[in-house]
Amino acid sequence: MTVTIGLFVAIWNKISLTQMNQSKKRKRTLPFDKSKQIAFIDEFIIINQAGETMVFLSHCTHLGCKINQTNNSKLVCPCHGSEYDLDGQVIKGPAYKNLRAVNFEISENSSQIEIEN
Amino acid sequence: MAAGKKHKTTFGTIALSLFCLVLFSGVLLAIPFDADSPYLSISSIMVTNPWASLIRNLHYWSSQFFLVFSLIHLYDHFHHKERIGLKASMALRLSLGVLIIFLAMLTGFLLKGDADSLQARQILETLTQRIPLIGSSLAYSLLGNADSFQLIYVHHIATFTVFITIVMVEHSRRFWPSAFEFLLTTVGTLLVSYLFSAPLHDNQNPTVKGPWYFVGFQEILHWFSHPEWTLLILVLMLALVYIVNTDKGKLVFISKRSLLIFTGLYLLLTIIGLFFRGEHWTWTYPGAANYNYNVLHNFKSPMVKFYPDFKPDEAVTAPIIIGRKESCLICHNQTHGFVDAHKPEAIGCFSCHGGDPFATDKNQSHRNIILIPGNLINASQSCGTMQCHPNIVERVPTGLMSTLSGMISVDRFVFNEQDNPDQLTDVHQLRNSPADEHLKNLCVRCHLGNLKTEIGPVTEMSRGGGCLACHLNYCSEAEKELTENTNETREFHPSVSLKITNNHCFGCHSRSGRISTNYEGWHETTLDASEMPNDYNYRLVEGSRVFIKEPEDVHHKAGMECIDCHHSYELMGDGKHYAHQEDQQDVQCSDCHFSGNGNTIAASDLDNESALIAALRFGNINNRTLLKTQKHEHALINTSIENDSVFLYSKNSGKKRQMKAPTTICARNNAHQNMACSSCHSAWAPSCIGCHNSYDPNEPGYDMIRNGEKRGSWVEYIGTYAAKEPALGIRVSEEKTEVIPVTPGMVLTIDKKSYPQSKGDSVIFHRLFAPTAPHTTSAKVRDCKSCHNNPVALGFGEGELTYKVADGKGRWSFNATYEDDPNDGLPADAWTGFLENREGTVSTRTNVKPFTLAQQQEILTVGTCLNCHDENSGVMMQSLNNYQELLKKTSNHCILPDWNQH
Repeated sequence: MTVTIGLFVAIWNKISLTQMNQSKKRKRTLPFDKSKQIAFIDEFIIINQAGETMVFLSHCTHLGCKINQTNNSKLVCPCHGSEYDLDGQVIKGPAYKNLRAVNFEISENSSQIEIEN
Repeated sequence: MAAGKKHKTTFGTIALSLFCLVLFSGVLLAIPFDADSPYLSISSIMVTNPWASLIRNLHYWSSQFFLVFSLIHLYDHFHHKERIGLKASMALRLSLGVLIIFLAMLTGFLLKGDADSLQARQILETLTQRIPLIGSSLAYSLLGNADSFQLIYVHHIATFTVFITIVMVEHSRRFWPSAFEFLLTTVGTLLVSYLFSAPLHDNQNPTVKGPWYFVGFQEILHWFSHPEWTLLILVLMLALVYIVNTDKGKLVFISKRSLLIFTGLYLLLTIIGLFFRGEHWTWTYPGAANYNYNVLHNFKSPMVKFYPDFKPDEAVTAPIIIGRKESCLICHNQTHGFVDAHKPEAIGCFSCHGGDPFATDKNQSHRNIILIPGNLINASQSCGTMQCHPNIVERVPTGLMSTLSGMISVDRFVFNEQDNPDQLTDVHQLRNSPADEHLKNLCVRCHLGNLKTEIGPVTEMSRGGGCLACHLNYCSEAEKELTENTNETREFHPSVSLKITNNHCFGCHSRSGRISTNYEGWHETTLDASEMPNDYNYRLVEGSRVFIKEPEDVHHKAGMECIDCHHSYELMGDGKHYAHQEDQQDVQCSDCHFSGNGNTIAASDLDNESALIAALRFGNINNRTLLKTQKHEHALINTSIENDSVFLYSKNSGKKRQMKAPTTICARNNAHQNMACSSCHSAWAPSCIGCHNSYDPNEPGYDMIRNGEKRGSWVEYIGTYAAKEPALGIRVSEEKTEVIPVTPGMVLTIDKKSYPQSKGDSVIFHRLFAPTAPHTTSAKVRDCKSCHNNPVALGFGEGELTYKVADGKGRWSFNATYEDDPNDGLPADAWTGFLENREGTVSTRTNVKPFTLAQQQEILTVGTCLNCHDENSGVMMQSLNNYQELLKKTSNHCILPDWNQH
């Protein structure tokens, strides 16, 4: 019985990890609008301020809820009210980690942004 | 069931019946449900297929009751049996069964695919991922790819269901419930399913919550910065269930007590989560602002209508709106009049009007409908939702058109209730002081928060209305339909658009400073409507106010509208609180009329709001260079620099005009460099003196905040209105000192004797002038004498200002037209005494003053020259370059004032 369970767990682990790796999207190309100070697109928050662009994962670092709204220029998690400033820094819990910044590249004509996931 | 054993109804057997009902309804529900687009398929079920909707409700309610009865059954066992004594393996499966039941329920919740479900999925994924070693694999195996519901669906209908079935059969040793119990539970659950639909979030309300049995846990999660530790609570609970099922003695007793206490606490947390948590999980309570919307709204649950108010075919062909089927458009399918962005095919009806988008009869669909969306009280639920204009709606309440800060602050200062007229105030903070009552009786109807309560176009009688105050437009068909007022579904809908005309501004801005009427060239008189001459030079406003023609503003003559100068951040606020209008007002004459290089911005660098408005108004402007304001650096989207020329496009008509640079006189820096453009270019300004206010406890009055009639009111007795060149004063700010036009803003007496429980002086007198933006711009400026030899311009009031020479010495004298007021000894229309200093706060701003004695002397010295020299003479032209030097070269004929003689 133990061997069977062990075998099952091993195969399960192998299948799920392989599938997970295959399904990971390495890069996403999304439309870019530098006039938009805050854009919630897909899994990302794109911030344009003071001539600089930053991209964060839109998932709250507390429990992963998708942040999709602002309140007085703060990014607010809809699930438990964690707040972040536009630099992704936590300013109100329960989250304690800053939003995760991701690498990106803006196309030459500034119409698209390629984001590493 | 063991043969011959008498059947006994228990909570467990009812749970078994309910589980069978869950299975049967689940099989039926699988027919219309589409795991590829769950939200759309469920909304379609609700809107287009009442029988499927009933089955969905049956599936939902039977599963909820199954959970409840299973837990009660568990309690029943624990309560009545001192020792259960199951085998370890079976106890383990049963304990796991409790977890699996919750997982089956939770995956069912996730399969709605609505806003609640998507966030719950994120939480479940994150929590699972944080389980050491196997977390990531487990989360992926449970939930699959982020954009797919396939694996969740499989687990829901197969993995968990099979597990529960096996455990139940093993536990109860029965496959089927008794016919009677099954019938009873089916009938009961069907009834509930008919009356109450299973929940589906409208994806617009910002409050998101998990299923009811999860909100207690959501409350716990919210306490923890490291929420993964809360998983230990689950493990502990399962362990306690296991111990109670297998162990004996004191450990069982402690475990039972622990479970009971936890269950009690969890119930309390569930109630808190359900009824006392609102948007962003913030604390709220019944009676709090927006409680219904933030909390109760998500409990809405339309009854199944087997015969909806439309034909099934109409429902099927209705458009899909923002990923869902919306029932509103099945009946309101021929409505016209919208701008493209607001067409129902794009945003539906629900986005603005609320109601219930999934109900299928009129009454249920229209429950809690917002008849007039755009009022500030509901703007966050309509215009300001996340998909629409949240940033604008957030900042509108901070703007002066919403707060009326200046109006309130000045009034309170005049009533001696504030130390200065520059404090930040808000119309929503008015109380019952004499000043606040005065405002409520006479002044504060004109704020954006004032509710628009009746449908219909914006007229000169309109006040407030939030977003609609400026953006509402009725086409002629919509107006006609409104007038005919039939009970049929209307075909024409007013548009909510960027077409903001002068008429939208007129209602409020034709009062007080009267800039709308000034701009169009109308001056208010004290005539009654019955006294108005039948003459095109007269105009009746609001049915009672009589205006007389005066020169219109040069910009109005050129066809420009208010919004051609004023931009969105001025009108809708920029998120900051300002005390007075000149602080919030951004655009200045010199932003457009300049010599040399302007303050420019490339179209590609516009902020999103400006870029969006520009694109909607003018299409592609990518290659344009635009002007931006010098004061707050906001883009003027209707300007363009082309070949060193500046052009302005009318925002509504698109008409293009070239803008003129200021003349050399304006650009000269040696003299008049501190003059505001409006101090010379304002042809006239309305002036009102001799105002008296008293409180009459028997006067029928009106409360403009409550919008209701009342007994007892402040009554205003006006003096005289006049249209004349404005007086001038000095405004000192951090950036500059400038000469500006002023008018008698508050020259008045206030009689508080009859005001209930009034404190302080019973009669108050004030002589305050106010800075003004007359909006009567003239290309031709006032001449030199109109300032230097004009007692009104100097602040002395009307009268005879004469210069006499006697014994070789010059002397200015002034004989006022109006008698001296006994309160301060100054003529009724004066701001300052002739050749006197006036100290203290003597205007409606602390930083605006009349000319000092020294400044009066300087001005009148030039006036002395103008008595003999024409303003265009060579001498006067030279005086503009270096006046002090010129004074040293005066001839014997020139006798300047001897100020010691005054």
